Amino acid sequence: MTLLFNQKIRQQIADPQLQAALDANADRRIAARQNAANALPDWAERRQRAHAVRMHVIDHLDEVLSLFIAKVEQNGIQVHRAKDAAEAIRLALEISHQAYPGRSNLLIAKGKSMVSEEIGFNPALQSAGHRVVETDLGEFIIQLRNEKPAHIITPAVHLRRKQVGELFHEKLGIPFTDDIPTLTAAARSTLREVFLNADIGVSGVNFGVAQSGTLCVVTNEGNGRMCTSIPRVHIALMGMERLLPSLDDLALFLSLLPRSATGQNLSVYTQLIHQPENSQEKHLIILDNGRSSVRNSSLQEILYCIRCGSCLNVCPIFREIGGHGYIGANGAVAPYPGPIGSVISPGLLGSNFSQLAQACTLCGACKEACPVDIDLPKLLLRVRAGKIPDPPAEKHQPSKLEYGLKIYSSISSKPRMFKLASRFVGLASNILPGYLHLPTLTGWGLSKDLARPAARSFRVDYREEDSKSKDEDFPQQISRPKKRDAGPVAQNREENAGKNALIERFDLELITLGGSVHRIRSQELQSAILRFLNDREIQHVQSWNDLPLKFGDALRQNDIEVSSVHSASIRAGITGALVGIAETGSLVIPGGEGRPLSASLVPEIHLAIVDSTCLVSSLEEALRLPEIVKAPATVIVTGPSRTADIEMTLTIGVHGPKELHVFLVDG
Amino acid sequence: MPTVQLFVTCLVDTFYPETGHAIVRILRRLGVNVEFPQAQTCCGQPSFNAGLWKETRPVAENTIQVFESAPGPVIVPSGSCAIMIKHGYPELFSDDPEWLDRAQELSARTYEFTEYLVDVLGVTDLGARWPGKITYHASCHPTRHLGLNRQPLALLANVQDAELVTLPEYEECCGFGGVFSIKHPELSAEMLKRKITNIEISQAPTLVVTEAGCRLHIAGGLIRQKKPQRVVHIAEVLDHR
Ligand code: SF4
Repeated sequence: MTLLFNQKIRQQIADPQLQAALDANADRRIAARQNAANALPDWAERRQRAHAVRMHVIDHLDEVLSLFIAKVEQNGIQVHRAKDAAEAIRLALEISHQAYPGRSNLLIAKGKSMVSEEIGFNPALQSAGHRVVETDLGEFIIQLRNEKPAHIITPAVHLRRKQVGELFHEKLGIPFTDDIPTLTAAARSTLREVFLNADIGVSGVNFGVAQSGTLCVVTNEGNGRMCTSIPRVHIALMGMERLLPSLDDLALFLSLLPRSATGQNLSVYTQLIHQPENSQEKHLIILDNGRSSVRNSSLQEILYCIRCGSCLNVCPIFREIGGHGYIGANGAVAPYPGPIGSVISPGLLGSNFSQLAQACTLCGACKEACPVDIDLPKLLLRVRAGKIPDPPAEKHQPSKLEYGLKIYSSISSKPRMFKLASRFVGLASNILPGYLHLPTLTGWGLSKDLARPAARSFRVDYREEDSKSKDEDFPQQISRPKKRDAGPVAQNREENAGKNALIERFDLELITLGGSVHRIRSQELQSAILRFLNDREIQHVQSWNDLPLKFGDALRQNDIEVSSVHSASIRAGITGALVGIAETGSLVIPGGEGRPLSASLVPEIHLAIVDSTCLVSSLEEALRLPEIVKAPATVIVTGPSRTADIEMTLTIGVHGPKELHVFLVDG
Repeated sequence: MPTVQLFVTCLVDTFYPETGHAIVRILRRLGVNVEFPQAQTCCGQPSFNAGLWKETRPVAENTIQVFESAPGPVIVPSGSCAIMIKHGYPELFSDDPEWLDRAQELSARTYEFTEYLVDVLGVTDLGARWPGKITYHASCHPTRHLGLNRQPLALLANVQDAELVTLPEYEECCGFGGVFSIKHPELSAEMLKRKITNIEISQAPTLVVTEAGCRLHIAGGLIRQKKPQRVVHIAEVLDHR
């Protein structure tokens, strides 16, 4: 049964490019998460809270889901429910057909979505005649290679920059280079056209918030924002379990997800979508595809997963074989690899993927890394025991190993037999060498020898009279057990300190992210920004209609052309912000009438004017502001757009702005 | 004088009896009365981890029965076997309230050896002496599933004349995983290779572990690769003077 799988594993191990790629970033992946987690003093407590929230949601899924759906519909987004992959595809095709009657060659710009992988979205829509373009850099690369993602967060983790260079040379016709910023720029210019001309945008959903009907979509490059906001039709795909009760809960999970996924305090773009913008049509397809059955099975806990990818990053097996090594009995690559995939793939898609759970030492690194504390080893054992929702009707023939284990278990359940067997082994040991060189086909013999059993087992030599032997000179100091270290005590500096502390923290965080902060007095704002634009020879900007301090008028008076819609030729966008978040250096930017969200997305430079009194300490505080749910969509911007999809090397400026300048205005 | 029951585990019983004897001596020196119920066998982990739960039940029932008539804490020189009793048994009997109760009674008084020394007896200095460099591999089960790391390190820190050096990637799995090492020999081999390279980098001639399984695996790999380093169970270091 596992023959193909073993073969595949050998292949992956023997592939030097793959091994180099996996090894090169293994430590980086782990260290990034650890540093981010360590920076949050109450990490352990947050994990437990997150576990409890997810447990509550899954326990009460029907109620939470119907509350969520009602809210989303109230907000003007059309909700569709799909019981399986085929139905989800049919719905997507119907939506496309109704929006563009008579057209079967639509251009579809797609953001990253694991659900779309699960249901085979791309091949299905392509065979209907549409053109689907993956716009996340990693996904774009693997689409060009005609592959599946090798990781749920960093899909091209199995490739080296040289391979990407060759690929782009061949498929995009650019001269060969292995310079990552150049490669990123090439993808950007190819995709820019796709965004601006796409008929439909497709995205995933990281979290749905029941209380407010929020669709939260988290990305770094800006492609996700393009897909959700620029095309006239937006279709969001989401698994039915990806729900949270409230925006407070969302704040908690946003403190865990990006830290676990990429080691960032917050992803660059956190979109909170509530309503369609302008004349846009928005659809949400909520997918079951086996989730209800998993919920009623002993694998229920796997539905707590928030798809952060941490468990893949720490898994020693993933490090050896990468995502493409996880195949089913029929040879198909599992849509979800790694520890999470070894449970959810057989859970959702059946026993074809049960063998994945065998490729695991139960080391527990995954459980330790999981931000929602899912007991993955326990669930992996349940998969091994056949406790999946849809077990195969016929039992498989026991392997030689299983046969041996059955005999051993039978002996172990009878103490007399066990003792006898133990005697026999001891006797046999007398004629054996110190170590046995077992043949390779035993499995064990591939890489190690087997120690000879002891001639006299412990039980044979155990003597009651030993109990009298005492070592007199032994120091009998029995001390109290030391208490575990409590760890560094939480220091929430902002909470007690005043406005200056907030500004300093905001400044520090934003600079770390590669943004810049210009602190100025209100009288100086006009000249500062004009000088900025002048220095870069920018005469045309996209802007909010109601910039703070009536700044738009000042621009016009100085012969700067101001538009409210985006266009490829505008290099700078100027916006305000609802608030800035000190602990993450983020800007909360609401959309709506006269406040085009594209101004903070499409131009390569983003300038934001923020009153210095409008800083809050935490994300949680920001998400409590009533304006958040009133705006059709809000984006939380945390630094300039970035990617690390090629060799985990950070590159600034992908689809969103390369530069982010915040003008912090005093008085 | 507290009385404890030794659950020696099948691997120690069969391959490494010296570990068992060391534990008996250490505990007795501390004034603990050690008993060894002769009817004990294996904890059932091999078949449990292979998914053969039906076959595992009678093994678990035997262990539960054997220790029901043996009072006091049950001491196990292996974190994975302790986990099997503490987490595996309740899982195995989750649909059988009567056995579940009995399993939980046993689970509540089961301790891994270093856990018992440090957390229950409050001992970290056993007056041991071990000349030379040693390095410590944090076996996955005790470390991650039981949260034991501080305990073995505290015990080793008090061994006279021993220089405890850090093993690079000391928390990485060695690739044993019981049936895993047979079902997926290629993966197991890669992980073992990494572990042995790290042992060489540490420059210690002796690797200390708290699991007989990791010992069987790593020592077997060292022999195959003709390396001079040896692997010992922590009890043997703590018993040495
Ligand atoms: S199981 Fe946990 S660690 Fe793995 S992807 Fe899901 S949330 Fe992340």
